[in-house]
This record gives sequence, structure tokens and C-alpha cells, in this order.
Amino acid sequence: MRNILAIAQRELNAYFASPIAYVLIGFFALLFGYFFYVPLAFFEQQSMQAGMNPSQPMNINQMIVGPTLMNTTVIMLLVFPLITMRTYSEEKRSGTIELLLTSPITDLEIILGKFLGSMLLYMAMLAITLIHIGVLFIYGEPEWKPIVTGYLGLLMMGGCFLSLGLFISSLTRNQIVAAMATFGVFLLLWIINWISTFVGPTTQAVLAHLSITEHFDDFAKGIIDTKHVIYYLSFMAFGLFLTMKSVDSERWRG
Amino acid sequence: MIEVQHLSKRYGPVTAVDDVSFRAESGEILGFLGPNGAGKTTTMRIITGYMPATEGKATVAGFDVFDQPIEAKRRTGYLPETPPLYPDMTVREYLTFVAKIKGVRKDVKGRVDAVMKRTWVADMGSRHCGKLSKGYKQRVGLAQALIHNPEVLVLDEPTAGLDPKQIIETRQLIRELAGTHTIVLSTHILPEVAQTCQKVVIINKGKIVAIDTPDALTERLHGAVTMYLQAQGPADDVQRALQSVAGVARVHLAEKRDEIGVFEVDSEHGVDVRRELAGAVVRGGWGLLELRPVRVSLEDIFLSLTTEEVEAEEPAAVAEAEGVAGA
Repeated sequence: MRNILAIAQRELNAYFASPIAYVLIGFFALLFGYFFYVPLAFFEQQSMQAGMNPSQPMNINQMIVGPTLMNTTVIMLLVFPLITMRTYSEEKRSGTIELLLTSPITDLEIILGKFLGSMLLYMAMLAITLIHIGVLFIYGEPEWKPIVTGYLGLLMMGGCFLSLGLFISSLTRNQIVAAMATFGVFLLLWIINWISTFVGPTTQAVLAHLSITEHFDDFAKGIIDTKHVIYYLSFMAFGLFLTMKSVDSERWRG
Repeated sequence: MIEVQHLSKRYGPVTAVDDVSFRAESGEILGFLGPNGAGKTTTMRIITGYMPATEGKATVAGFDVFDQPIEAKRRTGYLPETPPLYPDMTVREYLTFVAKIKGVRKDVKGRVDAVMKRTWVADMGSRHCGKLSKGYKQRVGLAQALIHNPEVLVLDEPTAGLDPKQIIETRQLIRELAGTHTIVLSTHILPEVAQTCQKVVIINKGKIVAIDTPDALTERLHGAVTMYLQAQGPADDVQRALQSVAGVARVHLAEKRDEIGVFEVDSEHGVDVRRELAGAVVRGGWGLLELRPVRVSLEDIFLSLTTEEVEAEEPAAVAEAEGVAGA
């Protein structure tokens, strides 16, 4: 555990010692702010009209928080390849991987440390968005439970992306290659169910299960379904497992 | 203690290390010598547990590096060819991090301070690793290898990139560490081996070509001492006269210009024929211009062991190189 924390701390230091962390967090916050403002402005306009002509009750969670969190996943798609691209590639290129692999720590500890480090950076990014949610609580009365599940979903989905990005980074010493490949795979997982209208019902069901966004919908609505939790957790475990195999095979190939 | 038994490493059809066996006793410095691409780094990477061997066994401080990698790594300090530094960390941050992952639990700060002092980087603590000069990078690399006070040190070209003063300091440090640590170092600087190591392993194309003490290796090639002789007179006659001297194994006319002949005379083992050679030249009425033993250096051993075919012309070139090196 101590080793995992040491690696995670070094990962975080590396993000914050360079402009990477600040640029990522900064633009994430900017885009999130915009994604937050659009439904907020719409909600404001709607509530003015509703005040004059009351029809049905309006829901902050459904109209603001839900869409904002859904849109946030788009930022993740673009930003996450940049978080994970250097994790292994950089170590391979600079030779520091030799230090890690000859230290009395296991490959799993290194991988978990790196995963934890990138997760913590992601959490720092998400923490900033809590300011916006706080604003909603000051001026309105949103339900807190769907917000918590929404953030839980974001965290789990992020974990999937990060574990996959870690794996792809372990395959190459070139950061650009790692970033582009990661983005490609992310996007593919994102849109994999677009073809569901053209395929048979079985394939359709399989594709729906594979689609990484499909599983997020329920979280955004405030539902924690074990089906989705298991999907995300097994996705993460699989990504980390692949990373381990990749590092191990790299050792044998030299 | 480091023991390597029948180690082989193959990358597909390429054999990088081929059936290598050697042993470094506790407190000993073992020099690993060989041309680039001979398999030095591969062997060291196997000993340090960076990569597994295709065949064979390596033991560090009694622990097999494949079966008990964590125990073996805990007792090994490794300085790779390029010091494994994180450019965005300061020297102190870096060494603290390494101390943690190497398993230093108590008094990390004290340990970092001690090692920084030992490797002369105490005043560089707050400098970023990426901003250091090559010499300092190498020293921080050495500090990193020492941080958990390992029984075994594996140093891949520890003096590469240092200036002459730093080289002397580093060799001194390595010698000081020897008593309490077992050290394997690789180099292609030959005097370094002669000055620091108790045992030399010469490796070429993945195979060990010689294991011995530096002195014994020199001695071994000294078996036939070569004399360099310059005489003025008809070359054929001189050669015949030299050949007839008792104890001379072979006379080779290396060069002939005008009346002057340059000879290389190999004597039999342990026989000093200088007096007799001089006598033979003088008796013949020729002029003896120069007579000196060609001292065999580690360079010659190295070349003769690692060069495929030593041509007849080679010794002359070596003798010249020797002259330059001596000057």
C-alpha cells in the first residue's frame, strides 16, 4: 500500500510540476462552466414563462444537473487521453521504467499507483465543478441524491477511461501515438451502439452493453443499478489487467 | 554475493547473452568488460530483475532473481546506463521517492542526506533533475542506487560522462564501498578495470572470453614477452642472428626502411633475452638503435580476446597505440 501511495504521489507531482495539470483542470472547468450555464439559462427562461402560465412543476435535477453531467462525459472523452498518454510512454522513453521495474515493488503496485494518481487528478477536476452545484443549492432546492449518483457514475466512467488509457500508454513509448489511440478507442466505445438499428436484436443488446455512455444514463437519473456498477468495475479491472500483461510481456521481449 | 549460472538471453533469433557464468564474492568488485553490444547491459538487466533470462539462473545475496524478485531487488542497487531521473523532480524529492519505493522505512530524510553527502550532491538538493549537468545526473544516479544501502551494487558504466576529477572521485567511492558491498560494474574504459576491480569478466558477442584478476590476465598474455628491436644492418642477416639466440621463439620483421629493420621478437615464457639480443646485434657488427619490451596492457588483452582474427600486422599497431598511451 505504501508503495502504491508513493507511486501515486509521484504521478500527481509530475502532473502539477508541469503545466499539464493546470491546463487540464483549467479547460475542464471552463467547458464545464459553459455546459452548466446553457441549461441554467434555459431553465431560467422556462421558469419565467412558467411563472406567468403555471403548468407543471419544474425539476432542477432533470433540467440542469442531468444534462450538464451528460455533457461532461464529452469533455472526458477529449481530455482523458491527455492524462494517460504519458503514464507509461514517458517512463519508457526516459528510461525511468528501469528504476521502477528494478525496485522491490510489484508490477501491480506500480499500475495501481499510476491509476490512483490519475484518478486523483480527475477528482481534482471534478472537485472544481462542485462549486456550480453549490450555486444550485444556494438559489434552488435540488435533490442531492441524484447528484451524488451522477458524480459516482462520472467517477466510475472516468476510471474505465483511465484504466484503458493506462493500458494503451504501456504499449508505446510515443505519447502522441498513445493519445491518439486512446482517443480512438474511447470514441469507438462511445458510439458503438449507433449501428444498433442496422443489426439483429442479439447484436443490438451486446452493443448496448458495450457502449460506455449507455451505462451512464441511469446514474445521471439517480439510479444505482448493480448491472452498471459491475460493468464499470469489470471494465476497470480488465483495463488494469491488460496493462499488467503488457508490462510483463515488455519485460520478456526486452 | 552475486552468482550467475549458465545465463542465456535470446530475442527471437538473436542471442544477446550466451551461457554466461560468473561469481562475485561478498565485498568484491567485479569488472564487466566488453565492446558495445557485447551483452553487458543485458546481463546486468537480468541480474537486477529488469528482465528475465531465457535460460539459466542468477542469484543475488542468496535470493534467486526470478523466484524471489522482491527479496533480491531489496538487496540490489542499480545504476542503469542512463540515470533514471525524473526531470520534473528536485534531487531531494527524487531521492525521497526512490527511498520509499526501495523500502526505506525509517529516517528517510537522514538516509537521503547521508547519500547526497556521500555522492557529492548535497548542494544540489533543490535543483531539478532535468537541469543538472551530465556529471551531476550520473552522481544522483549513483545516490539513487545507494539509497537503501543494498548489499549488491550493479553499475552500468558509472563513470561515463564525468570529467577527470569526478572520475577519480567516483572510482575512489566505488573502492570505498567495496568492502561492505558486492559490486558489478561495466565499462569500456580499461584502466578503470585495472584500477578498481579485483576480478575481470571479458565478454564478447554474448560469450565470456576470460575471467581472471587484472594482474593474472596481463600475466597470461605476458606468457610470450615481446621485444621491440630496431637495428641497422641487412635485415635478413639480423633476423637470422636473432633467431639463433637461445630462448627466442619467433622473430618477425615488422618494418624495413633503408638499412634499418624493425623487429618484434617473442621470447619463450619467463625468459629475459634482452642481453642476448643486444649481444647478437653487436657481434654481427650492426648498429643497435632501440631495444625495449612491448608491455602488454589490458587493451591488448581486450583486443586480442575480442578481435576475431588478429592479423600479423596487428601487434605493430598495438605497439604504436601502446606508445601513444604511454606518452
